[in-house]
Amino acid sequence: MSGQDFICLLPLLLPAAAAVLIMLEISVYRSHAAACILTLAGIGAAAASLPLAAAYGPRQVTSLLVIDGFALFYIGIILAATFIVAILSYAYLRRVPGQREELYLLLLLAAVGAGVMVASSHFASLFMGLELLSSCLFALIAYPRGRDNIEAGFKYLVLASVSTSFLLFGMALVYAQLGTMEFTRLAAAGATGGIIYQAGLGLLIIGLGFKLALVPFHMWTPDVYQGAPAPVTAFVATVSKVGVFGLLLRFFGQVGLLGHAHMFFLLTLIAIASMFAGNLLALRQKNVKRLLAYSSISHLGYLLVAFLAGGPLGTTAATFYLVAYSVTILGAFGIVGTIPAPGEAAGGREADAIDDYRGLFWRRPWLAGVFAATLFSLAGIPLTAGFIGKFYLLDAGAGSSLWLLTLSLVASSGIGLYYYLRLITVMYLRPESGAGEEAGRPAAYPWAASLVLAALLMAIIWLGVYPAPLIDAIRRTVTLP
Amino acid sequence: MTPIPMDQGLLLAAALFFVGLAGVLARRNVIFILLSIEIMVNAAGLAFVVAGSRWQQPDGQLMFIFILTMAAVEVSLGLALVLRLYHNFRSLDVDRVSNLKG
Repeated sequence: MSGQDFICLLPLLLPAAAAVLIMLEISVYRSHAAACILTLAGIGAAAASLPLAAAYGPRQVTSLLVIDGFALFYIGIILAATFIVAILSYAYLRRVPGQREELYLLLLLAAVGAGVMVASSHFASLFMGLELLSSCLFALIAYPRGRDNIEAGFKYLVLASVSTSFLLFGMALVYAQLGTMEFTRLAAAGATGGIIYQAGLGLLIIGLGFKLALVPFHMWTPDVYQGAPAPVTAFVATVSKVGVFGLLLRFFGQVGLLGHAHMFFLLTLIAIASMFAGNLLALRQKNVKRLLAYSSISHLGYLLVAFLAGGPLGTTAATFYLVAYSVTILGAFGIVGTIPAPGEAAGGREADAIDDYRGLFWRRPWLAGVFAATLFSLAGIPLTAGFIGKFYLLDAGAGSSLWLLTLSLVASSGIGLYYYLRLITVMYLRPESGAGEEAGRPAAYPWAASLVLAALLMAIIWLGVYPAPLIDAIRRTVTLP
Repeated sequence: MTPIPMDQGLLLAAALFFVGLAGVLARRNVIFILLSIEIMVNAAGLAFVVAGSRWQQPDGQLMFIFILTMAAVEVSLGLALVLRLYHNFRSLDVDRVSNLKG
């Protein structure tokens, strides 16, 4: 490897170096603030190295990784989301007893794993990135060591391991048929097809479907979203989804999956089932985290529309939607994680029941406003990021004449409106007298979390009103061969 | 020594894979679930070795070494979580370890 290769890898090497640094720092002197600041510095340095890496790209670094505009843009999203999750974790962990510093190590390593995944051009690097991400997530989900955290962590471990075995078996079958594990050479060899190759692709779709929580493989999602601490839930919903979806776009785009008629049909079914099942199951939820989990299933279904549309338009639409969705869901879980449940001491239960939000507007108008904005964005109401994102998805779907998918998207979003609006109405109800009121003046809200939430609110509105700069940036950088 | 045909090797790997999958679905004890996952992961590893021997490349065995490493990581994390599970729930039965519903 040459010096230029290392410069191209800086966005992945710097967070890894920061993780090592924090590990050493913890062994000398434990300080929550120092660990958080080192994390933020590591991510900031990695983000600053993105333009540097872009100057030397696009570049194939060994046969394992390819650093091109697509990889760098997705690494950028991952780093930004990790940055925000780190700040939210700082506010969250201050309320939780126990040792806190190791969480940042795991966050950084998981971000590196997701980054490796979106830059991978070989089955081996795909597998290593995915495992680095998942193994960190097991520990992150179970981190505060309460009953629910441990249960959710274990469930995620079992299902993630099973899905990884499916993925591995699929890779082995593809390799057995074609004799190569590099994506570009797979594309050249894959045209011949063959039954073992098709079976391998099917297993790969099952494995990735588990990770993305698409419908027949979605059972783990609500439990994990509910059981994980809120900032980690935000991480699962953004970084891990962005990483896996980026991989899906690159790998199946290069292999030419959409050329196979029955694979296309299978994915269409999965997309429609995800959209409807996610939105219908969310209707009856009384827990906000579970509700957002089901809503995430439907949002991944929407994203598949852009994936199936394919081409540059599909890639642009999917990337924009991923950005808009990440910004929105980080805001939503940021609120869920930092708001204290009424009538609970600090460090108690998270405010995750819908009843906890009753009358939130009268207690904390600003927070209620931000939460309402994120819900509007998830529902796809105009003037929010979610609306523009959905508009581009529809555009991509209609441009490729996928009418069934486009209609399902519109119909299932209509169902989704109901539960988002129900949550918003609950916030503006007058609180029942006595019950639900906090004793005395509400405690000061952590300022770091407030800043982040304000920034996310501005991003949601800015992307909803003036999306042109981001769209242009995506068109310029995110192109797949 | 005659080489083993690829089809037979892959069939053996597939059989092992389904034995593991059946174990994950049917077993109620968390330790046995972890064991069944191990069988699934190693079945995939076997398939890689078979595929590598068909193409006379070292890649299949390389992937197997990666898979071994990953399996070790998963088991160590899994057993750590099992300890905490037992501490919290006083049971290793997955049906009892189930608070999260809705």
